[in-house]
Amino acid sequence: MKNKNTWMPVFILASSPFFIVIVMVSSVIIGTKDISIETIYQAIFHFNESNVDHQIIWNSRIPRFVAALLVGAFLAVAGAIMQGITRNYLASPSIMGVNDGSAFLVTLAIIFLPNMSNASLIIISMIGSAIGAGLVFGFGSIIRDGLTPVRLAIIGTIIGTFLGSVATSIAMHFQVSQTITLWYNSKIHLVDPKLLLLSAPMGIIGIILAYSLAKGITISSLGEEVAIGLGQKTLWVKIASMFTVVILTGVSVALVGRIGFVGLIIPHITRFLVGVDYRYIIPCAAVIGGCFLALCDVISRLINFPYETPIGVVTAIIGVPFFLYLIWSKGSVKSA
Amino acid sequence: MLKQTTRFLIIQSVLLLLILISSYLHLTNGEFDMKIMEIIQVLLGIGNDEMQELVIFDFRMPRIILAIITGAGLGIAGVVLQGITKNELADPGILGINAGAGVGIISFMYFFQVMFSSFSLNGWVSIMLLPIFGFVGGIITAIFILFFATKNQQMDMQRLILTGIALNSGLGALSMYISLKLSPEDYEMAAIWTTGSIYNANWIYIWSSLPWLIILGFFIYRKAPILDYFQLQEDQMISIGIQTEKEKRLLLYSSVGLISACVSVSGSIGFIGLMAPHIARQLIGIKHRYVIPVSAFIGATLVVLSDFIAKTIFSPSELPVGIVISIIGIPYFLYLLIRNKEG
Repeated sequence: MKNKNTWMPVFILASSPFFIVIVMVSSVIIGTKDISIETIYQAIFHFNESNVDHQIIWNSRIPRFVAALLVGAFLAVAGAIMQGITRNYLASPSIMGVNDGSAFLVTLAIIFLPNMSNASLIIISMIGSAIGAGLVFGFGSIIRDGLTPVRLAIIGTIIGTFLGSVATSIAMHFQVSQTITLWYNSKIHLVDPKLLLLSAPMGIIGIILAYSLAKGITISSLGEEVAIGLGQKTLWVKIASMFTVVILTGVSVALVGRIGFVGLIIPHITRFLVGVDYRYIIPCAAVIGGCFLALCDVISRLINFPYETPIGVVTAIIGVPFFLYLIWSKGSVKSA
Repeated sequence: MLKQTTRFLIIQSVLLLLILISSYLHLTNGEFDMKIMEIIQVLLGIGNDEMQELVIFDFRMPRIILAIITGAGLGIAGVVLQGITKNELADPGILGINAGAGVGIISFMYFFQVMFSSFSLNGWVSIMLLPIFGFVGGIITAIFILFFATKNQQMDMQRLILTGIALNSGLGALSMYISLKLSPEDYEMAAIWTTGSIYNANWIYIWSSLPWLIILGFFIYRKAPILDYFQLQEDQMISIGIQTEKEKRLLLYSSVGLISACVSVSGSIGFIGLMAPHIARQLIGIKHRYVIPVSAFIGATLVVLSDFIAKTIFSPSELPVGIVISIIGIPYFLYLLIRNKEG
């Protein structure tokens, strides 16, 4: 595949503020309570503490939008890195057990450290991501053909199921399964603004890290031999990349729980639009992923109005046909 | 080396003994402990303690029998799926057929609630109809998977499993979406299906699922020689005069029927259909005449034991049996994958 025109990434990045504003306005307006654009304007520029609408805008709608935007960006970038490094077109945080590892450890933390601070929650979630990724990759490398798309998808799915089952049984034993279910079914409508303020910079550091690794990831995506031939220290690139993935997914799960398919779909769409250079892919994936998830969040409010539908349902409804399309068109080929 | 028939009989007796032992443990233990003599008295109808009768006949017996039915059904269905796909890793749960049957059942609860409002969900008609709706959901899923996995009339195993994984998560999301629209009581029931539980066992469930197990089980057993032939190459089979496509479809439909009956009464229990056939083949070899019944017995043993663990280990709270089975089944699955390395 040759690189597409270089104006495409420029176009995407330059037009992104426009799209972000559109999604933001719809995200703030649409909800169980109708809010007019005028009220939004006033809430932003003449905030009035006694006005309920203003409170809703600042404490619920805006944090929710920002969380969706950031998490979408984080997951899309994490997926892009994974697909580049493993050269596996199915690699993504939700398929490869990273989400599940994180959710698993957060479950344990909710039970055993009920008074933990926001910062430790994020760190625990990151350690969990690392455990999940480590398990899946560990098994992937000791099993024959374990890193091919199909095998890795199987291993990831069943290790995810396993971690989920163990977490559920512990949660049931301590009778906190209802709290935990919120984690599993994404809790984007309950985003905690304080947690958001803390995790946003951490995730953005992750994206900067990803961008600085972009060149190495591009080379890795050409294949192990080529990368070594070009003088790349492949092991270091892999370790640094996995570290970045762990930061990005850890932050995402701590913020909104498990959300699937974003990290799978968006990198493919981005590659289709901007080509194979990860210096373009990473920023564009971030923008597209952010807008995508924020839009899914809006859809999740409309689908069964006035009730909320879990955002994971929306991403799955969009994601599964896409997943099937990938399988149909790529079958069992080995590389991305 | 013993003759295979003798070996088969020994294995089946040992398994039967295991089922009896685990049933015994299941019967005697619980929040209400009982002694063996008391149970025998109740079973023979000479006991005079109504409390004991209630616990045994209304709670524990149906649960054990349902565990046996589910385990046997999934064990047989697993043999068929692995046989016709020639894939060791085929399992109703992994292929998404469980999830498809689940969607069928939850849709039934959602769309036909009003129509059948004169019968409550625990009523006869609804429960008898549940397997049929599960069957429709399961069949649609199975056909979809087969359609997607077949290219140039060749079944691609990799695609088969990937499509299953994709459908599994999609259908899971769909049932979650539908179940959120259900009334709270029905939601409780729907939630049971997503994890797999035989906590709510009763005699109606048994009467609704047992005929499926008996009829389809015998049908599949009679097809055992054909399943043996399926291990050959496709063109060899055609040259012996077997209508492969027709047989494949018949066997697939019957196994989906079995799975749906199991899922409709005990929810989506994964990994039994994977483990039981494997253990059976290790014990008795590859002849399906033996593998099918052995696998049914192993499946039954596994579910009864797991259900016993599910109800005792975290007592007084109960785990859904599906969770216990995945905690046991997944390490086994990984072991199978690793062992393939040498093979």
